[in-house]
Amino acid sequence: MNHQFPGALPRQNPITGWFAGVGRTTQITLEHAGGLGILCAQIVVAIVTLKVSMRSVLNQMYIMGIQSLPIVLVTGSLAGIVTSQQGGYQMTSGVPDYILGSLVVETVVLEMGPVLTALVLVGRIGARITAELGTMVVSEQIDAFKSLGRDPVAILAAPRVIAGVIVLPLLVGVADLIGIVAGAGAANLTVGLGTESFFYGARLFWHSWDLTYSLTKAIVFGFSIPLISVHMGLKTKGGAEGVGLTTTQAVMFMTLTILILDAMFPPLMLN
Amino acid sequence: MIAYRNIHKSYDLPVLTGVDMHVETGEMFALFGPSGTGKSVLLKTTIGLVVPDVGDVELDGISVYHGDRGAVEAVRQKVGYVFQHSALFDSLNVYDNVAMGVPEDVLARMPRRETAAKVWEALELVNLEPREILSKIPSELSGGMKKRVGIARAIIGRPEVLLWDEPTTGLDPINTAAVERLIERLSTELKVTSLLVTHDVEGGLLMCDRVAMLDSGTIRFCGTPDEFRACPDPVVQAFVDRAAAEAALDMVSESYD
Repeated sequence: MNHQFPGALPRQNPITGWFAGVGRTTQITLEHAGGLGILCAQIVVAIVTLKVSMRSVLNQMYIMGIQSLPIVLVTGSLAGIVTSQQGGYQMTSGVPDYILGSLVVETVVLEMGPVLTALVLVGRIGARITAELGTMVVSEQIDAFKSLGRDPVAILAAPRVIAGVIVLPLLVGVADLIGIVAGAGAANLTVGLGTESFFYGARLFWHSWDLTYSLTKAIVFGFSIPLISVHMGLKTKGGAEGVGLTTTQAVMFMTLTILILDAMFPPLMLN
Repeated sequence: MIAYRNIHKSYDLPVLTGVDMHVETGEMFALFGPSGTGKSVLLKTTIGLVVPDVGDVELDGISVYHGDRGAVEAVRQKVGYVFQHSALFDSLNVYDNVAMGVPEDVLARMPRRETAAKVWEALELVNLEPREILSKIPSELSGGMKKRVGIARAIIGRPEVLLWDEPTTGLDPINTAAVERLIERLSTELKVTSLLVTHDVEGGLLMCDRVAMLDSGTIRFCGTPDEFRACPDPVVQAFVDRAAAEAALDMVSESYD
């Protein structure tokens, strides 16, 4: 027997519920896509009309670049060390040791350097931007900018995106370099592979295109992280709880975007 | 003159359902109403911070929503907005916060010495000692000082209209009275049109030429303070009585403090 309290909400059919869920998800995805597109256009307009302050860009470059350098150095070198150790462990017979040099360099440059650096920046910079702008929204500071005839996109969004596009390739370059050096050191200590043999192996399979690939990834990630974090920050609703919720969503959104973009690179650029 | 014509705005639920109201040039006008009735939403439609679903706002004949491109920007140049919680920029000091009130193109051409003089003058107008606070950041200021800096930022560009969004919220009775005296003095000295959204009914009735009450998304009453006090509408009466009771409670608690 089907008991139902008077006034209770009617039970939803599971099939219609599923369709409703798909519809809501599609709507939210399209809203985000539209919002990101509009924000991109507004940033381009702000840049073209020279409304972006160079001082703000330099300030953001300092925050994103110089202040992120220590963590990027640590993650870059650990990536090189771990790759070198695992590669050395697997090369037990039949494969010349110097191949480890190629394995470490290619893995660090093509994958670990750009992706790990981007993921570190998602946590360090992306979350910070979303929380900062979200707080500005809920405390009406964004409205205050507008009421004073200022463009929040030119003041807040554009400098962060420009700084991201410039800084991330530099950080990835540093991460690649330190990863290779640390990998060479680890190969020497764990497998006994000399530095000359390591770099001989590295040169054997090196293509200059690999560096272009690595830096192109960095530019795309450097554009995506601030763009998504600014977009999410400006969409914040509610008070402190809203800021927390939006920041969490932004970190998930940025992480997924980095991983999906990363998966799209090989078919686009390595064939 | 500011004219609100048939303003509708809904979020999840309808907030404003056909507001028609006007504020005459040079007038001091208070808007009352229970919490959540859309007073701040209506105020924000004046300069495009909230876009109404239906309706239009006109400021001195400029249609904000059905006018030329750039109408919103033109209106914003004429209006100073005082936010409920001051909305000072956290990362800027008092000087930069107040200087932000000068229109961007004017500020770009203005010599630094002149900007400093204007900031100084605006801070003095709100009874702050510029020398002591110019280099402070908002987190180093008390609630009352933040409000005054927010007011200084709104008046530095010499607007024709001042919109006050609950400027006494969160202040103790002494600071409330001080800010209300400031609002009255500035509105008279600067010869501006003032639209004040407030919960302080007694203060609003004493200061303003006309008042209105927003209830359930529409204007329930609009008239002079005397007409408001004598209004037979039971909803208005209940609101006046409740406001008087709250004011009395404030006085009692003040005497205990």
